[in-house]
Amino acid sequence: MIPTFFLVMIIIFLLVRLLPGDPAIAMAEAKATEAQIEILRERMGLNEPLWTQFFIFVRNVLTGDLGQSILLKAPVATVIIERLPVTAFLTIYAVLFSIIIAGPLAAIAALNKNKRADILIRGVFQIGLSTPVFYIGLLLLTFLAAFLRWFPVGGYGQTFWEHMYHLLLPALTVALYTSAIIMRNLRSSIIEVIDAEYVQFARAKGLSEGLILWRHVLRNALVSTVTLLGLSIGNLMSGTLVTETVFAVPGVGRLMLEAIFARDYPLIQGLTLTFAVLVSIVFLLTDMIQSWLDPRLRPS
Amino acid sequence: MKTVLFAAAAALSVGIITPTLAVERGGTLTFARYDDSTLIDPVYADRNPDIWMVSNLYDTLLRTEADGKTVVPGLASQYKLSDDGLTLSLTLRDNIHFSDGTDVEGKDIVFSLNRAKNPELGPWAGLLGSIDSVTADGKNITIKLKNPDPTIILMMATFNTAIVSKDAFDAATGATDQEKAQAISNADPVGSGPFVLKSHQRGSSMEFVANKHYWRQGEDGKALPYLDGIDFVVIPDDATRILKLQAGEVNAAEFIPFARVAELKADSNINMELFPSTRIIYSPINTREKTADGQDNILASKEARQALNYATNKDALIKLILHGAGKPVTSGLMASTTQLATGTEALYKYDLAKAKELAAKAGIKPGTEISLTTLAGSADDSIIFTALQQMWSQIGVKLSVEQVDGATRGDKNRSGDFDIHTYGWVNDVNDPAQVAGWLGYYPTRKAVGTGWNNPEFNSLYEASNKEINPEKRAEQYAKMQSLYAEEAPLLFMYETPFAVALDNKVKGYVQTPLGSNEFSSTWIDQ
Repeated sequence: MIPTFFLVMIIIFLLVRLLPGDPAIAMAEAKATEAQIEILRERMGLNEPLWTQFFIFVRNVLTGDLGQSILLKAPVATVIIERLPVTAFLTIYAVLFSIIIAGPLAAIAALNKNKRADILIRGVFQIGLSTPVFYIGLLLLTFLAAFLRWFPVGGYGQTFWEHMYHLLLPALTVALYTSAIIMRNLRSSIIEVIDAEYVQFARAKGLSEGLILWRHVLRNALVSTVTLLGLSIGNLMSGTLVTETVFAVPGVGRLMLEAIFARDYPLIQGLTLTFAVLVSIVFLLTDMIQSWLDPRLRPS
Repeated sequence: MKTVLFAAAAALSVGIITPTLAVERGGTLTFARYDDSTLIDPVYADRNPDIWMVSNLYDTLLRTEADGKTVVPGLASQYKLSDDGLTLSLTLRDNIHFSDGTDVEGKDIVFSLNRAKNPELGPWAGLLGSIDSVTADGKNITIKLKNPDPTIILMMATFNTAIVSKDAFDAATGATDQEKAQAISNADPVGSGPFVLKSHQRGSSMEFVANKHYWRQGEDGKALPYLDGIDFVVIPDDATRILKLQAGEVNAAEFIPFARVAELKADSNINMELFPSTRIIYSPINTREKTADGQDNILASKEARQALNYATNKDALIKLILHGAGKPVTSGLMASTTQLATGTEALYKYDLAKAKELAAKAGIKPGTEISLTTLAGSADDSIIFTALQQMWSQIGVKLSVEQVDGATRGDKNRSGDFDIHTYGWVNDVNDPAQVAGWLGYYPTRKAVGTGWNNPEFNSLYEASNKEINPEKRAEQYAKMQSLYAEEAPLLFMYETPFAVALDNKVKGYVQTPLGSNEFSSTWIDQ
């Protein structure tokens, strides 16, 4: 994990600087004179040689200092700490939704392979998969929030229950896409497993169908699905980027978008590092869940 | 029957005349914004979401009326510029207080103005470059100038000279002035404006409450503001912001896309306001002899630029992009709402015959390639490109598009690596010197990156910055404007208003031509 982290630091540092567009100019909103831009460049350390900038960056990161956001005029670490819980809440909420939606439907579809229920479920999910996230979001907002007024139009709320209420539609929006992927994967895994010899053996032992499905089929079918879910964390994050903008959710996804447009180097670097750490943690968790599901994967 | 009709008419006319008397106090306004503020401080406000909020938290010595032009007293009740134009004397009003109850005194004025003119701090210090010293003797403030400055009175009514509390800065924690400003904003905001910042959740929401010590009086003879407070919510997505208003969750939503204006105007629950602004949309043309890659630049010829201007049907652009809610540029150098703006007719009214004649003169042959740099993801820019491509093909121009993001466009503008690119502008100060310097004066920014370097314009501009005789200055500005229009370093396009949708209960809200959100006289009809 530590070498990965260092590699990410180098890549991020260089990639951000490869972007066309000078952050001092981006920050000055075009109105500044050349002299003012020069003062800004000096203050932002952009006149230093690249390797000096990198050295300062690494030293600061190691001491926990992610720098000062140019755009927000506040420490990057503070800003990320403020915003990260919002996105984490949304992502976990969306994952839970995805599982709740995809799990049972995948089982129904698999057990009714190529019958009417299967075709209907797959058809509906195909629509979910091929519709842009922001469009689904706007549709939900227009009908459920603005028209029927069952939900608030965007925002985040103050308390835990308000968060649950405010983020229900955004989480559902993100989940519709993810659950479509999970459902398809889980359905084919179940179909594969359901005819396996150990399942037939379980059936021969006289176990009930429910128990067979739960203990033997699902547990084995889930291994690849968990991997897929872990791998799609990046997808989920980019999903929140759009969803957070449409639903006015003040999370890190929207912040990333703003930071890139403003060429806010410290903020982009800080956010990308945070994402890298989070994705690494999720991969680690995925490995742990996999080995819990499948004892063969456990280190002896 | 006649009497009834008469009575009805009388009642109606009274109804029309009197609603201003029925001002109601109290209530909290909820306002949906397109972007959040970061640091609302007169000196550090560098983005519009900050600049446009300053006047609510900090008052200036002088003020302008809602038209943005007429100067009226503010924290100073009187002001006088000496005959030689080198001394501005102001007298502070009695009974003016900061939001913490302490008096606004001479020391605060000296501190605030010195801070504002310090080039080490914010980006606006250059606007106060003529100030030599600021001193206070009791309620009398004296500003000595190095040279006569015709903008100085209007500058005292501009956001960057707003008054902050010296005591609050002295007491604030932080090593630098910016850290202190941030600490004041975060912890215990003290201001001189009609409202006080109560809380701020970055990127999400912001809360203002009424300043109980504010000095200006409302129509009912009591202190402003009428509102108890304002809750701002940040909704970056246009469609969501409008939905929020339609669902009744907010009282107002700003930056309504022009495509939605007609629909909201038709909604009887919504008051769709189009406030006159100083915003102009234009496209700088690269006027250098050579393009960035060393080729001869056909746009270096005045006739070529004029041809493009004549070949552009501005009314069609306004219909397509603004759905009619705008007007063609009339001055060229500034919006018509700016002081000293001349011209009442649209510049370069669409004239294809003239355009063809000029194009031939300039040597534009069929198939001449010109590139338009636009903002990626901007729907307006896509329409502009498609329309211009079609319009200019009539004079033989083959227009291609290059889509970039804002930061890259800014880079290209500065390095001259473009043919034509889309751009926009809103004045930050009431005086035209800022916009004229930006668009036309070469030393400021190479005439908005066009590379247009006109000695006559430059010397007129320099002279106008020292001319304290208003008539003479107006003459200089008239000359500059006609010269600029004739030379056409820009594709002159259109002016747009600020579109704000409010529910019917909200009264007295104003967005000034500079963009400032004015809530001091806003009230809710409960």
